[in-house]
Amino acid sequence: MSKYNVIGTRVHRVDGPDKVTGKAKYTFDMVLPNMLYGKILRSPHPHAKILSIDTSQAEKLIGVKGIVTGKDTLGKKQGIWRRFPELCDEEMICRSKVRYIGDPVAAVAAVDEDTAAEALDLIEVEYELLPAVFDPLDAIKEDAPQVHEGVELNINVTRHIEWGDVDEAFKQCDLVREDHFRCSSQAHVCMETHDAIASFDHSGKLTVWTSTQAAYYMQVLLADMLGLREGDVRVIKPPTGGGFGSKFELDSAQFCASLLSMKLCQPVKIVFTREEEFTASKRRTPMIYYTKLGAKKDGTLLAKEVRVITEGGAYTSMGATALYLTGFFSSFPYKYPNYRYDGYRAYTNTAPTSAMRGFGAPQAVFVGESQIDMMAEELGIDPVEIRRRNGMTPNYEVPGQANIQSCGLHQCLDKIEEHIKQRGKLPPNRGIGIAAYGFMSGGIFNWFDTPYAFSAAVVRINIDGKVDLFTGACDIGQGSDTTLSMICAEELGVRLDDIRIHAADTGICPPDLGAWGSRETLMNGNAVKMAAADAKRQLLEFAGAKMGANIVYDLDIKDRWVHLVDRPQKGLSYFDVVKEAIRGKDGEAIMGRGHYTPHRKGMISPAYSFGVQAAEVEVDPETGRYKLVNVTTAHESGTVINPVGIEGQLEGAIMMAGGYGFCEDQPMDNGKILNPSIGDYKLIRSLDMPETKILEIDTYEPEGPFGAKEAGEGLTNPTAGAIGNAIYKAVGVRIHDLPITPEKVFRALRAKEQARSSK
Amino acid sequence: MKKELKLTVNGQPYELYVKPGTLLVEVLRNELDLTGTKRGCESASCGACTVSLNGMAVKSCTILALQADGGDILTIEGLAKGTELHPLQKAFLDHGALQCGFCTSGMLMSAAGLFHEKPTPTLDEIKEAIDGNICRCTGYNSIIRALSAVARGEYKEQR
Amino acid sequence: MIRDFEYLSPKTLEEALAFLSQYQDECKIIAGGQSLLILMRQGLIAPEYLVDIKGITELNYVQAEAKAGLRIGALTPHRAIEKSPLMKNSFSVLAEMEHRLASIQTRNWGTIGGNLCHADPAGDPTSVLMALNATVTTASVKGKRTMAVEDFCKDYFETALQHDELLVEIQVPPAPPHTGAAYTKFNIIETDMAMVAVAVSITLGTSKDVCQDARIVLGACASTQLRAKKAEEVLRGKKITAGLLKEAGQVASQEADPISDVTASEEYRRELVKVLVPRVGQKALDRARQA
Repeated sequence: MSKYNVIGTRVHRVDGPDKVTGKAKYTFDMVLPNMLYGKILRSPHPHAKILSIDTSQAEKLIGVKGIVTGKDTLGKKQGIWRRFPELCDEEMICRSKVRYIGDPVAAVAAVDEDTAAEALDLIEVEYELLPAVFDPLDAIKEDAPQVHEGVELNINVTRHIEWGDVDEAFKQCDLVREDHFRCSSQAHVCMETHDAIASFDHSGKLTVWTSTQAAYYMQVLLADMLGLREGDVRVIKPPTGGGFGSKFELDSAQFCASLLSMKLCQPVKIVFTREEEFTASKRRTPMIYYTKLGAKKDGTLLAKEVRVITEGGAYTSMGATALYLTGFFSSFPYKYPNYRYDGYRAYTNTAPTSAMRGFGAPQAVFVGESQIDMMAEELGIDPVEIRRRNGMTPNYEVPGQANIQSCGLHQCLDKIEEHIKQRGKLPPNRGIGIAAYGFMSGGIFNWFDTPYAFSAAVVRINIDGKVDLFTGACDIGQGSDTTLSMICAEELGVRLDDIRIHAADTGICPPDLGAWGSRETLMNGNAVKMAAADAKRQLLEFAGAKMGANIVYDLDIKDRWVHLVDRPQKGLSYFDVVKEAIRGKDGEAIMGRGHYTPHRKGMISPAYSFGVQAAEVEVDPETGRYKLVNVTTAHESGTVINPVGIEGQLEGAIMMAGGYGFCEDQPMDNGKILNPSIGDYKLIRSLDMPETKILEIDTYEPEGPFGAKEAGEGLTNPTAGAIGNAIYKAVGVRIHDLPITPEKVFRALRAKEQARSSK
Repeated sequence: MKKELKLTVNGQPYELYVKPGTLLVEVLRNELDLTGTKRGCESASCGACTVSLNGMAVKSCTILALQADGGDILTIEGLAKGTELHPLQKAFLDHGALQCGFCTSGMLMSAAGLFHEKPTPTLDEIKEAIDGNICRCTGYNSIIRALSAVARGEYKEQR
Repeated sequence: MIRDFEYLSPKTLEEALAFLSQYQDECKIIAGGQSLLILMRQGLIAPEYLVDIKGITELNYVQAEAKAGLRIGALTPHRAIEKSPLMKNSFSVLAEMEHRLASIQTRNWGTIGGNLCHADPAGDPTSVLMALNATVTTASVKGKRTMAVEDFCKDYFETALQHDELLVEIQVPPAPPHTGAAYTKFNIIETDMAMVAVAVSITLGTSKDVCQDARIVLGACASTQLRAKKAEEVLRGKKITAGLLKEAGQVASQEADPISDVTASEEYRRELVKVLVPRVGQKALDRARQA
């Protein structure tokens, strides 16, 4: 018997019934009275000066109600790294210069979408074309065009991490490998594109409904960019059709709809086209990796040195964090005694690169796990064994960086080893590759400079025992509304259907930093648990007084039964206690409050999940085409709060991360993305999806609510690396750049054959 | 010039006037306010707009409304019977076959088309039936499990 | 956004041909519209008149006669062909091809005639129909024309149709004895458009030994589906061996004239032809031996 009544049980999503019946209203579906439709004019050039904008013809078009350009803005540059003004480098509508194909230059509001689109064609923009730079290695050359004035060598951000004595350690190694890898871009492809409805009224208040991962960030950024008080901006997140890292920065739909609405005092709705979604909603950061790894003969890894140059695109966005995290996670999940990372982010005239599920770690894991397999082979050590020898263990301190508490990496390795053994001897051209990984449960860093706790929640118990849970957490599909409701119900000792969650409305919910960095379960979960505990304490005070039990007894609530912990049969109905407690409090509903900010938990995250994944592929050696046969994952995320949710995160991550390894890419020509449609951008579909298997690992994270930690992004990290290693096992070729397309495998096989025959 | 359009949607007959260039999905969403049917792309490649037309799963973003004239359409809003969810909907909830939910209506209507054609489909037929629908969240396997459970008869149609 | 147009929905072939004759190049024909509507939404095609022929039921049929072979009405949906019990023996390759054509939703509404008229060099039906030596019949108020499928496809998205003409029927002749056909499309995502496609039909002599006739068709390898005639010559009149099929593949890869694009390089496409022609050829051969 589980000691829990709610957590760990298989429940329906709390938003499930609305979603399976089509009743759920996304921003995309909403229509307000008197609403206008907006469209955004975007730069067709990768780098150009704006000489003039003539909107007069467009204004004359019947049905056009308003047009805004950079002149209508406050002229501020924004960014999410608000503590560092020099990294706030993005104008929401460009005033004098455009820096990528897709940079906004004007926006139109009209009576319908067609009219707005027609008006865009009538806006005349005179550009002076500037030389542009696309490849980050070109961008950091002396004579490269400057993407931002005054930024030397186009270097936007640098990051350095170091511990131990790396140079000395390499001298003591028996084997040192130096390798080079390239990691590609990836599009988030949220099924609901970025969209917003902004409604500004004559009392000076702005309400924005938007598909977002961070309602609170949008409130703050909109207020700042529009010159409003934060309290006059209310951001509401209706059901949201996916985010994956693309929806926690201010976007042009939100900003332009707001600016137009402020000008017109009418609601304005802007929905990105799918093409805009591909070209102007940011993307995964492409990275160029140089990595050096040193080991002793027995497989002990002594030192690692990593240099990375990332393609930043036109603006900082979340790219600075990706740059840091890729360096941090390049040391994962191993105990390197000596480690050095130097990362450079170069501005280029391409679509800005930013956060995407895994946040720099999928790149680090592809590179690191490829290289460690290469090292193992050269040393004649089994891939599982080399990982076991060096893998992180509980209570390990990453020097100067992080304190790891729970860590189930070794259990994961054992399970995966068992799985590989069970598969037995594979037929020719089949191979299993593994990759080990770890990930954070929310970020500690506060570059946003929020004065608030990172997470907060309020619980209100009503007279009928129904509980209203208010939290700023953002459910974007990952299921935080369900998981947080489960935590609330468990802590309070009631059932899941006693909870009604009100989330991600800045007008009524306490701030939360949002759904990114896999933070909601741990951080918001802690806040919810604390709020529920606060409310429960108040109930127990009344119950204790009422029952007149000996003061030495503890009281608790389980499944709506308020009772003595040591004599559970002695107790009162939860409903009766609630009624009496509210009367006793002079009619005030029971209110519980909770908040959470990690303290003294290192620089990165309060907790880390770990896992090992095995990917099995079958390669057609004549064409290089391969099939993902099976992906088996041993993932430990502490106590499992919502098992159905974790399964979904895990399998979904394989679709996305498998795609990163296998087929997803954004080829460009002079800064123009060549495949901006779902037809041309290759996505794994049901017939391509491998069989997936989950191996459960028990751990307990002392920092997490009920021992839980992340299960959202970590799972995106291993797959590309595991696929690369599997291909090597199957046919003996190593692909150093993502995605691992059949054509690349074919070329590598051909090169190998030629090398063999020329011997 | 607008043209007359007669449709039966979820059992309800409608008479409308539409511009010839109006897509079926636009009529459903904008004229009839049946916003359960989504749009996810402009290239007929995501399946979010799938509805049932005369019993067949079709992409309502790639059919002119006038081409469906006289047709019998079932959308996600017509799947449940009153308070009773359709077996497919129940199976989706039980198996966690949805996350963000944006593809869910289309997925369910593709599945409805499948079961209309064949009440006990094979695993391959299940995978084929939803292959035209992109889901960026679930990785499909939970959807496949849900549909397999329905195919096994674990969810009986209500009467 | 789709520009305004005049919508015409004839219910008979005769009515349709009258509209085409009247409006000529001002009009565009829509059948299932699975490709056309995407182009219209992008504003790439903006006709004054749109003639919707989807409702002409007389063009929706599949018939088989021993002598004439298979006759498929131009407005037959893909799914109907896929599911038709008539797709057996030498015609089964048509059903196999349809089974992997796009999504079920598209196959339910899209028609085979519409697919042919769209004339995408990666289109699946054209390759298979060419391998099966199929013909098409077009009609206008002036009369009917019948031509080989390979003559119907002219260039990228261009057919032999005149402005006043409509594709009405596809004929697939009965296969000679000891004939087998096979089709494969190569892509990364299972039901995606072909990166390269190969259709092969092989007819063996009475001894089931010597290749009497061979037709090799390459999809997505040129501006239209392409007969690899020199490769066919390699097989014709000879006893087919693995080595000979390999040679045919190499010759076919020389005949191919593919482009480089975001999905594959020209060179890789040629290499794929080298591999796929022998594979598909072997499958066709096996079927010919069993036929």
